[in-house]
Amino acid sequence: MIPALALIVGVALGLLTEPHVPTGLQPYLPIMVVAALDAVFGGLRARFDGIFDAKVFVVSFIANVLVAGLIVFLGDKLGVGAQLSTGVVVVLGVRIFGNAAAIRRHVFRA
Amino acid sequence: MSTAPDGVRDTPRTPDGDRHRPTSHRPKLGAMSVSLLNDLMHNTLDEGYALAAQRRTEAARAGRPVRRSGAVSQALTAAALLLVGVILGVAFQQTQQDAPASQRTRDALVHDVEQRSRVSNELQRQAESLSAELAGERDAALAQSQAGDATASRLARLEAMTGLTAVSGPGVRVVIGDARPKAQTDPVTGQPVVVPPDENGRILDRDIQSVVNALWSAGAEAVTVNGERLSTTTPIRAAGDAILVDLMPVGSPYRIEAIGDPDILLPNFVDSVAARRFETYVTTYGIDFHVDRSDRLRMRAATEAVARHVDPLPGTPGPAPTDSSPSGQTQPSRMGAPGVAGAPTSGVQPDSGTPTLGGGR
Repeated sequence: MIPALALIVGVALGLLTEPHVPTGLQPYLPIMVVAALDAVFGGLRARFDGIFDAKVFVVSFIANVLVAGLIVFLGDKLGVGAQLSTGVVVVLGVRIFGNAAAIRRHVFRA
Repeated sequence: MSTAPDGVRDTPRTPDGDRHRPTSHRPKLGAMSVSLLNDLMHNTLDEGYALAAQRRTEAARAGRPVRRSGAVSQALTAAALLLVGVILGVAFQQTQQDAPASQRTRDALVHDVEQRSRVSNELQRQAESLSAELAGERDAALAQSQAGDATASRLARLEAMTGLTAVSGPGVRVVIGDARPKAQTDPVTGQPVVVPPDENGRILDRDIQSVVNALWSAGAEAVTVNGERLSTTTPIRAAGDAILVDLMPVGSPYRIEAIGDPDILLPNFVDSVAARRFETYVTTYGIDFHVDRSDRLRMRAATEAVARHVDPLPGTPGPAPTDSSPSGQTQPSRMGAPGVAGAPTSGVQPDSGTPTLGGGR
C-alpha cells in the first residue's frame, strides 16, 4: 500500500514541480523510463511470487537505470546510439512483457 | 518470517517450489544464440530475488535472525518507487513540453503571418481608395480646360497601357497547371494506385514568364497572372518552391489572362514557340494547358512602380511617376460598349468610363 502511494506521490511530484532536466540528460530520459518500468514490473512479479526483497528491488532499479543510460551514452559516443537504444528497449520490453504475463497468471489464474 | 513484507511470508517453499519451475527451467537447445534468446524470453525475473529468498531460507533454517526489519524494507521500496514515479512524471512532462513547443512556435508564426497579411491588405485598400480620390481630384482639375481634357484622356490611355489603372475588355485566358498524380491500376494486384507526377511536370517561374512574354508579343495590352496585374516592372520569379508575381505567391493552376483582340491574340499566341512547347509538355509530362478566348476580362490595377532614381525634368508635360494611380478600382464601372475591340490595339479600356484607348482618338 505504502509503495503504491509512494509511486503516486512520485508521479505527482514529477508532474507538479516540473523539475528542470539538464539538456545533457534529456536523451536518456526515455530509456530510463523503460528501465524503471522493468524494475517495477520485476518487483511486482517477485512480490506475487512471494520472494520480494527490498534490497534486490532497489539495487536492480538503480542498476538498471544506470546501465541502460550508460549503454545509450556509450552508443551515442560511438555512433550507434539509436541502435543500442532499440536494443535496450527490446530487451527490457521483453522482460516487462514476461513479468506482466507472470503477474497476470497470478492475478487471474489464467 | 513475520518481519518480512507481506509477500515474503511463504518464502520457505517458493525458491525451490514448483511455481517457479517454468521460469528457471532452461531447455538445452545447444546453439548459443538460441539459449540466449530462451534465457531472455523465459528468465524475465531478476535472479537476485530468488537468490535473496534462498539466502533468507537458509538463514531461517540456521536459526540466524533476518537482517532487515519490515519497516526498513518498506521505506526502501517506497523511496525507490517514489524515484520511479518522479522519473515517469518528469518524462511525461518533458514530452508534453517538447511537442507543444514546436506547435506553439508554429502557431505563433502562423498568427504573425495572418496578422501582417491583414495589415498589408488593409494598407493596400487604403492606398487604392486614396489613389482613386487623387485621380478623381486630378480629373476634376483637368476637366476645367480644353487642354486639361486632352491631358486627362492621354493620361488615362497611358495608365491603361502601363497597368496603373483597372481595365476590362475581351482577350484570351491561358491556364497552365502542374502535372497531376495519375490514377492507374496495378497490373499485379488489380488495385488502383496513384502514380506521383513527373517531377519535370512542375510549372516553373520561367514557364510563366515565357507564356507572358508570348502573350505580350502576340499583341496583349494588359496581362494578369492569377489576378495579379503585370506592369512594366512586375517581377515573376521563384522563391524556393513558390512562384511570386509582384511579390505575391501564386499557386497552380496558373490563370494567365490577357486583354487584346482575341481574333489576333489567340492565333498569334497558339502559333508561338512557347505555346507549341507547352503542347509538347502536355504529352510528355502531363501538365495542364488550356487556351480559350474570353469576351470580357476585368483586371485590377498593378501596384505602382516606385521611381527611385529618376526625377521628371521641370516643365516637362505628362504625369510625374508618383502622380499616376489606379483610378477606376473603387469607382462604379461605367463601361462603354465592349464592341470597341474590333481594331487591333483597341482591346484595353480603362475600367472607369474614361475614354477608350484606341477607339476615339
